[in-house]
Amino acid sequence: MEFKDFSLAFSQTKVGRFAKDLAEGRIMMTVCRGCGKKYYPPRADCSHCMGSEMEWKPIKGEGSLVTFTKIYVPPEHFALRQPLMPFSTVQFEPCPIGILEVEEGLRIMGWMPKMEIQKIRVGMKLKASPQILPDGKVTIVLEAM
Amino acid sequence: MKRVAIVGIGHGKFGVRSDASLRELTFEAVKACLDDAGVSLKEVDSMVTGIAGDEFSLALQPSAQVHDYIGFYPKPNFRVEGACATGSMALRTGWMNVASGLADLVLVVGVEKMTEVPTSVATEIMGRGGDSMWEYPFGTTFPGYYAMMANAHMAEYGTTEEQMAMVAVKNHYYGHLNPFAHMQKEVTLEKALTSFTVAHPLKLFDCSLITDGAAAVLLASEERAKTISTKPVWIAGLGLATDTMRITERESLTSIAASREAARIAYQMAGVGPADIDVATVHDCFTIAEIVAYEDLGFCEKGEGGKLIEAKETYVDGRTPVNVDGGLKSKGHPLGATGVSMAIEITKQLRGEAGQRQVKDAEIGLTHNVGGTGQVAAVHIFRRE
Repeated sequence: MEFKDFSLAFSQTKVGRFAKDLAEGRIMMTVCRGCGKKYYPPRADCSHCMGSEMEWKPIKGEGSLVTFTKIYVPPEHFALRQPLMPFSTVQFEPCPIGILEVEEGLRIMGWMPKMEIQKIRVGMKLKASPQILPDGKVTIVLEAM
Repeated sequence: MKRVAIVGIGHGKFGVRSDASLRELTFEAVKACLDDAGVSLKEVDSMVTGIAGDEFSLALQPSAQVHDYIGFYPKPNFRVEGACATGSMALRTGWMNVASGLADLVLVVGVEKMTEVPTSVATEIMGRGGDSMWEYPFGTTFPGYYAMMANAHMAEYGTTEEQMAMVAVKNHYYGHLNPFAHMQKEVTLEKALTSFTVAHPLKLFDCSLITDGAAAVLLASEERAKTISTKPVWIAGLGLATDTMRITERESLTSIAASREAARIAYQMAGVGPADIDVATVHDCFTIAEIVAYEDLGFCEKGEGGKLIEAKETYVDGRTPVNVDGGLKSKGHPLGATGVSMAIEITKQLRGEAGQRQVKDAEIGLTHNVGGTGQVAAVHIFRRE
């Protein structure tokens, strides 16, 4: 599992193990050994004390939803380009996304595949979990606990 | 520091300009600007070019195309970039050149050619204005980011989809009176509310346009300004502020902290407050962004932005007229040109040349320009005297 299997575009970073951890079922943060500041997404360097000694720790992904949306007009990377057959149409049904606050100041973005947009509410209690996709890539989903 | 004035303005026609390239669009604005000032390009000391995206212009140094095509060499040309705030950052850079005494006459150009690439590609490029490493994997787009701010604002303050649509109705009304606007068409509240969803809850008419366009202003030192223009417009305050790359790390999703900080600095420098502003152009890349801007700039209390538009207080005859040139919403949003275009509108208003859209006796104006989802924001304050 390479970092690109999560980020889609980038493979070169000091925090590349994040994707491997996701594939093994853990969402990880980094914690600065110098000042204790927690980072999600994980960082190799601390902008609070300028230290670079970091400890990797799993995040307990339970929290409340800060906000959400459902993007109907996707960027090129996610767009379906062609209907498969002449005279056929493809019904594109996008997936909502949201931001979950798991503890003070620590927020996780994720897909919400099992949620109907009209039923999503700010403040809902959800859990963030890693998920391996059919194409082998890895991502994060937000689901009911 | 020297005082700096705008002594020339030139605005090209915004729209889907499939008839013109980046460099040709720039020529239109530069020519109009020099004509307005009655100055020849030979007299200009240096130039600043604001272009946001290499990806849009399909070039590594698009600013060189610009100075080549207008024939401005071998003098200096600086390229500035700050996503959607690029134009205001270019103006600020031009101001720095004159205020420092390095130059007396500086041409500031903002331009973007966005429709050469397909819409889905443009959507992707702009989506990468968020964190392309950590947020893009979730399919984020620009409307997506502002939709998340809208849902947070609705949940916290009870702001409604109708109130957001009212911003579109206002801005399209004024856009239809602006000959340079991309979409010179009025929309009804019903049409805005029933247009298709781009990113829940934002609909088509909540979103600004993908636009080609250019705008240029000429800046002068006080000595030069007096010889060039009988109606110079003075740059009285400038504020620039930054914030985190990721919206997940923002202190608030219902306010743009960089806007608040930039406004604080600009008000302080100009020695004025929100109540002194006679006319403003704010960053309405989405209707929710205009509502949040009312609050961040102090035109109303936090959470009251929806009610301000509902009471029509931001129309020409309201308490604080906002985006009476059509805004990004209807005039269009060619990224690099937007901040310069905002300064042109305020200059027209303070000169008393805004025609049907004129705010009576406007003396003090403000521009507010946000880059990305709020990673950077610029606020400028202009005065007639």
